[in-house]
Amino acid sequence: MKFMNYLFDSNKNHSDSKGKRFRIRSMRTVSIAVLLAAAMFLVGCSGSRSEGPSGEADGVDKVIKIGMVGPLTGDYATYGQSVRNGVQTAIDEINADGGVNGYTLQLIAEDSRGESTEAANAIQKLIDQDRVTAIVGAVLSGETATVAPIAQDSGVLMVTPSSTAPGLTDIGDYIFRNVITDDVQAQQMAEYAVSELGFNKLAVIYANNDYGVALKDNFTAKAQELGASIVGTESYLDGDEDFRAQLTKIGDEIEALYIAGYYTEAAKIAQQARRQGIEAIFLGADGFYSEKLVELGGDAVEGAAFTAGFYSGDEVEAVQAFVSSYKQKYSQEPDMFAANAYDTMKIVAQALAKAGNDRAALKDEMAAIKDFPGVTGTTSFDAKGEAVKDVLILKIENGTFVRAS
Amino acid sequence: MMISPYYYQLLVIASINVIMALSLNLVTGCAGQLSLGHAAFMGIGAYTAGILTSVYGLSFAVALIAGGAMAALFGLLVGLPTLRLKGDYLAIATLGFGEIIRVSILNMKVTGGPFGLRGISKQTNLTIAAIAAVLVYWTMTRLMNSRFGRALTAIREDEVAAVAMGIDVTRHKVLAFVISAAWAGIAGGLFAHWFRYLHPSSFAFSASVEILSMVVLGGMGSLEGPVIGAAVLTYAPELLRGVSDFVSQHRMMFYGALLVVMMLVRPQGLVGTGLNGLRVSKFRRSRGLEQSGIDMVRRRFASAMKRAQRKGSPSPCVVNEQLADLAVRSGAGSSGTGVAGGGGEEHAGS
Repeated sequence: MKFMNYLFDSNKNHSDSKGKRFRIRSMRTVSIAVLLAAAMFLVGCSGSRSEGPSGEADGVDKVIKIGMVGPLTGDYATYGQSVRNGVQTAIDEINADGGVNGYTLQLIAEDSRGESTEAANAIQKLIDQDRVTAIVGAVLSGETATVAPIAQDSGVLMVTPSSTAPGLTDIGDYIFRNVITDDVQAQQMAEYAVSELGFNKLAVIYANNDYGVALKDNFTAKAQELGASIVGTESYLDGDEDFRAQLTKIGDEIEALYIAGYYTEAAKIAQQARRQGIEAIFLGADGFYSEKLVELGGDAVEGAAFTAGFYSGDEVEAVQAFVSSYKQKYSQEPDMFAANAYDTMKIVAQALAKAGNDRAALKDEMAAIKDFPGVTGTTSFDAKGEAVKDVLILKIENGTFVRAS
Repeated sequence: MMISPYYYQLLVIASINVIMALSLNLVTGCAGQLSLGHAAFMGIGAYTAGILTSVYGLSFAVALIAGGAMAALFGLLVGLPTLRLKGDYLAIATLGFGEIIRVSILNMKVTGGPFGLRGISKQTNLTIAAIAAVLVYWTMTRLMNSRFGRALTAIREDEVAAVAMGIDVTRHKVLAFVISAAWAGIAGGLFAHWFRYLHPSSFAFSASVEILSMVVLGGMGSLEGPVIGAAVLTYAPELLRGVSDFVSQHRMMFYGALLVVMMLVRPQGLVGTGLNGLRVSKFRRSRGLEQSGIDMVRRRFASAMKRAQRKGSPSPCVVNEQLADLAVRSGAGSSGTGVAGGGGEEHAGS
């Protein structure tokens, strides 16, 4: 009690003038706070009133608004910008073909800076102020986990073209995902290595992060299920330079080495393995898909195979059309983020054409999508809202990426 | 008439940020100790409260308090060794502490690691968040006008003088730090039960800096400052979204420019009136009488000391009164008076 008195003893020891002055100051604060709150409240009301009707598809404009949330600035900006550009490319094509049921699509992209709080604000703005019909996003898994409950509660369809963390589509029936997940591509690679290439003695070296661990676990389980033996499993940390200890442990008695990580380390692992006399074929996942792998790895990565969701060198007409129109607009090659976003927008548009303005029907039509042909192969959705997609296997031949299957 | 969910959410976040800014202000604004890891305390509170309700099924109120207590405990652990040091050590120690907490959360099983903590129920609403913010504000007004608050001010202005006045500097600093951490923990609990998902990146260094900018922008050491700063910095990035395509694409640039301009035009903050609520008048500055608020505070401190020694009558100026009060209660009657008085005269002469 004595302690509390010490902390809060201002009453006893102050003259009246002091108390009055304190009251005046706090009055000022309260009035400023009330003014601020009132200002925000008024803007909120006027905003939703003026934007509301025209945002709905039955307005004069005949516009359907599509929202996008992702990091357009900050450390992860390249991912977010790729997604936005992919969606915009799809929307431009759809609008050029007359739109959806006579409605023009309009993209409203909001920046999240890669921060969950910003993403939550952005999606609330898209839903309440812009009244978007569907949302493509969010981009990073953390963002998606934060904003998905908001989209679900508001009954707005949300499709992420890039978040691979497990369980995101469990959040609700309005949440979909159109990207190959880590477990799927690891299993596909195990199947390719064991069933197609006929390898029996495999080893795994993985990056000790969520990506590497998920790949390692699924690859190992599937390969063993198919009857192959994993003779060695070693880990490394992102940024490591020297892998000789791990490679010595693994030994040269293997037919293939699965490198569950990104291209920077993979290139070094490949070179050091060759120097130690390991003749095995290198296998990997979409972390391999970069020109840098060949640049850094040189001859060592020749013949390496990896899984990917998109191949920009594909001779399929749709892919080449997409790559050239994307290049023309943004003067760079589309990556997997852009390709998945492009396909996602096309799929949402197809569901929109069938469902009309009904948001609940839109989600049902989305779930009913079967064998949609896109630039990332054919896509269907399972009961949870996860995309069932083709996984491509690419190979390095003469220093360039080619399709292996 | 219902408020739009978008503005409702902004008001909730603003309330949480107000708590964060007010609590950091106690350490940085009042006691003058720079802390760069305030978001870590929020993270500890958020994860503690989130895990308690989602995994152990405890009630929201209990979890909130437990989150605050856990943050306070960590505040004590960090504060005890580091607050004994002078100068910039606390800033560096809290910077490291923030990183330790973030990386620990990232590598723990119970927190969900890099996948984040999911499945927290939505229990925070605007009423609860606003009540918490008002409560913290009220506590803050009491604290700042108490003997404890004046002791903190004395520590900020001159630690040596404060010691000479008989203030247990370390004890006061640690206490302020612990109170501040507890509030941040409670804000974290509110945060967790609003967003329903936690990820370690939400409590990284950048978040600590954002809270610090709220305090500095609003006005360090003042009561209204952190409140206004938190409200402005919560709303400004959202406001910039709507202006035009160009502005919304470059909004973080405008946001940064806004901060720079603010600091140039009003270095004391939006509503801050300089240290101790004193303004250095142009006249006085032009005469070279005093260069900054601190010079003036020192000079006034000296004259207040003298006056207090003469008769102890209150002066019209609040700060003079505060300092006189401080002098009378901490120094008068003990042998410290003479020493501090002498120091004051020295300052007045310079």
